[in-house]
Amino acid sequence: MLEARELTKLFPQPDGTHKAAVDHVTFVVRPGEVYGLLGPNGAGKTTTLRMLSGLLRPSAGRVLLNDVDITAEPERIKRHIGYLTANTGLYARLTPVEMLEYFAALYGLPAERAREQIARMSAWLGMGSFLKLRCGALSTGQKQRVSIARALLADPPILILDEPTLGLDVLSNRLILELMRTQAAAGKAILLSTHALDEIETLCRRIGLIHRGRLIAEGTLEELRARTGRERLSEAFLQLVGADEPVFTN
Amino acid sequence: MSRFSRINIIWRKELKDTIRDRRTLIAMVLVPMVLYPALMIGSLQAVEMQVSFLVTEEYKIGVLDERAQAWLRSVIDRDRALLRAASEPAATEPAAGGAASASGRRGAEQSARAGVRENPPNYVIQIVNDVNAAIIRGEVHVGVLVDGVPPGPDEDGSARITVAYDDAEIRSQIASAGVAGILERANQRLLDERLKRWRLNLQFVQPLALFEQNVASSERLAGSVLGQIVPLILVLMTMTGAIYPAIDLTAGERERGTLETLMVAPVPTVDLIAGKFVVVTMIGLLSAALNLASVGGTIYLGGAGSLLTQGSAFPFPFHALPWILLLMVPLAVLFSAALLAVCSFARSFKEAQNYVLPVMMAAIIPGVVGILPGTRLEGPIIIMPVANIVVLARDLFLSKFDFNAILLVLLSTSLYAGAAVAIAAKLFGQEAVLFADSGSVATVFDRRFFRVRSEPSAAAAMLVLALVYSLNFYLQQAIARSPWLSTGIPYLNAIALTLIVLLAVGPWFAARYMRVDAMTAFALQAPPARAWLSAVCLGASTWILALAWWQWQQGWLPMDPNLREAIERQTAWFGSVPPWTLVFFLALVPAFTEELFFRGYVLSGMRGSVGKWGAVLLVSLAFGLFHYSAYRLGMTTLLGLLLALLAVQYRSIWPGMLAHLMHNTISTLAGREDGLAPLMRSIGFPTAADAELPAAWVGGAAALAAIGVAIALTARRAPGSINPSPTRTLPSA
Repeated sequence: MLEARELTKLFPQPDGTHKAAVDHVTFVVRPGEVYGLLGPNGAGKTTTLRMLSGLLRPSAGRVLLNDVDITAEPERIKRHIGYLTANTGLYARLTPVEMLEYFAALYGLPAERAREQIARMSAWLGMGSFLKLRCGALSTGQKQRVSIARALLADPPILILDEPTLGLDVLSNRLILELMRTQAAAGKAILLSTHALDEIETLCRRIGLIHRGRLIAEGTLEELRARTGRERLSEAFLQLVGADEPVFTN
Repeated sequence: MSRFSRINIIWRKELKDTIRDRRTLIAMVLVPMVLYPALMIGSLQAVEMQVSFLVTEEYKIGVLDERAQAWLRSVIDRDRALLRAASEPAATEPAAGGAASASGRRGAEQSARAGVRENPPNYVIQIVNDVNAAIIRGEVHVGVLVDGVPPGPDEDGSARITVAYDDAEIRSQIASAGVAGILERANQRLLDERLKRWRLNLQFVQPLALFEQNVASSERLAGSVLGQIVPLILVLMTMTGAIYPAIDLTAGERERGTLETLMVAPVPTVDLIAGKFVVVTMIGLLSAALNLASVGGTIYLGGAGSLLTQGSAFPFPFHALPWILLLMVPLAVLFSAALLAVCSFARSFKEAQNYVLPVMMAAIIPGVVGILPGTRLEGPIIIMPVANIVVLARDLFLSKFDFNAILLVLLSTSLYAGAAVAIAAKLFGQEAVLFADSGSVATVFDRRFFRVRSEPSAAAAMLVLALVYSLNFYLQQAIARSPWLSTGIPYLNAIALTLIVLLAVGPWFAARYMRVDAMTAFALQAPPARAWLSAVCLGASTWILALAWWQWQQGWLPMDPNLREAIERQTAWFGSVPPWTLVFFLALVPAFTEELFFRGYVLSGMRGSVGKWGAVLLVSLAFGLFHYSAYRLGMTTLLGLLLALLAVQYRSIWPGMLAHLMHNTISTLAGREDGLAPLMRSIGFPTAADAELPAAWVGGAAALAAIGVAIALTARRAPGSINPSPTRTLPSA
């Protein structure tokens, strides 16, 4: 179980003040569920995910993984988290196999287990045709599959996915959504941040809406509908962030 | 997984990634192995060709009248005829052969001038109104002014001949050299004929026959030539080789978005930067080694050696190569860490390239200072980064092996390198550096955003250590050379003030600026009672062990006689200073300041990064190095080890300060009649300066020291001791 408790991040400003990018955010992602984190650009989603994955140190509050504070033992805790970053950063001069072997070694996977995992990922994600090409020569969809394979390699119980389907074609998109479903069904706790509201609607059991660094709403899709009186998630979203006025008026 | 395994995994991957990049290969392999030899041989041959063209040209001589023209024509024609008749080997082989020299155009000019003296070019003689003006305007290359009537073969008398030329113009230089050679030979012939006429021999007009004899062996000449060229090339190439991987593995990785991916992995930041650092250092070293091989190959096998020495033998000083390569290691470490530190700031490749430029300039300037003629490895140069390596490498090519200098250069460069590594590690992990949206990079240095800490970071400790190390050396040099401060009590005052400012006041301000709690940073907590017992055991025994070490060391590392003489002079002068004044300057001030700094500030900063015992070892070595003498290094390092043991076990500098004070006080007063000498004699300790230490005293001191160490090692951790992890508080908005 992944828990953000009163999570806060202050960024220093050149004038000597601090800006709260994330402000006392609290939520829990339970095993077997996909938790959707929604919010407009600049709301603090990525900063929240970076704190949850141990990339940023919280200014206040805690990140708990099965009740263990991530800041106490960041390296040990990171083994239990698979984090997919928003931009698919791959080593252009390495092949997917080499890159996956490298990350497997960093996660401490024995060589034999690493080979098995890479073979399994390759089969799941359909990477066989480009496994030995240099990453620099791959398409966006292929790169994203390699990134997902990298995040899943050590079979972590927690997955934090930041815009996993951004820029993908329909086939790749479907593949990744299906993968999330199967991973959640296998008991993994998945935190999904995306702008694709239809993905949230179809995948997420619960949704947290973050706006200006604060978690302004949380609940199941039905709860959010009931709270806003709007049927569609996009309309509920706009209402909750206070942007449901028509943009164009005659 | 151990830290070593992680770093091993990281550097292997980084190396594979780096060497697959053709830009690295170009910088690392193509430039040294192909471009450099081609340029070197090509430029030398171009100089040679240019010189051979110059000496075959026809030159114009300007004279003022027809009489001078006719006389000069006859002298030149006669000289030519005689040279042809003599058919000397030099006449068939114009000055081009071996005309080039290492120092480029200037050397080529000198060689060409030397050649045309023996084998002058063709001349046309013109009459001009103003010889000097004609030379300046380029109408003639050289002018000959004849004052008086030149005597004939059977005549006496003398004429003054002036050869005017333009030293800023190569053709004028060559023309004048040729004319001078012709006139010297004409003069010699006239002299020979006069001597024959008067039945005199040459000794009559030449009472002192002067000859110059160069005693330098061909090995030394070769070493001298290489020493001027190779060290700076190696410095530049080590840095050039390291620049691209340093940028690529930091700013490049951030730009490509792989850094965030990497930081998610369960690997401490310091391991990541260590892995990258290993690769950058390796490539810098490899680049230096390839350059050295390339220079060696070009000179030894490619024939450039004979070009450099104007045709004479060029034995390559292979004996110097292992030492030169050893020197390159700390230099490559220093460059790599400095480059990684500055590149860690950059968020893009282009930005990093801008940051690298000042680092290159900072390396080149002391490098050039190092190759200046006459620069010696002494004074400030000995610890000046880069310059000391360049001068030492030059000395090694000349077979000058000064163990003391090699050790000081290696260790001081290693200290700077260590500081640079710590800073690079510190900067690499900064959130503001890693993520552009985490605030401005400038906030990394802004005190308002510093977290309150219980001890300084390793980077801050290493940086302050490196600054204190170099500043202390420079200030001590300045004091020793000052006409007002170099002797007497003013000298002691100046040294004491230096120590207080550098070791106590400076670090205290550094701690305040970094928002570090002075009480824990300087380990000012009160120790438990048993700590004093341990300190007394060590303070009462180490001075004897130090004496024993000193006597033992003389057997295998005898002190330089000049240094010994200087120390004896100083000791003799100390005899005139009241004992307690001396105790204040030589015991109290060093004990207070050195404990505060080394066992306080530096030790508390280092232990969080390298662990308790790693910090003890490093701080002890730094303490030894701080005494700037290979002869004192071993002894002071061991003493530092014992003092650091006390500090680390009791989390307090006070026991170490007591032990240090006792050690220095007894060492200062033991031999003085107005000090402790009568007491020492009364208990059977020999106080004569050259007396052999009795084994019983040494054994007793060793036992007492062992008891002190045992007490310290069995110390229980004091309650409320320093938390190894820094405290965090929410910064105020």
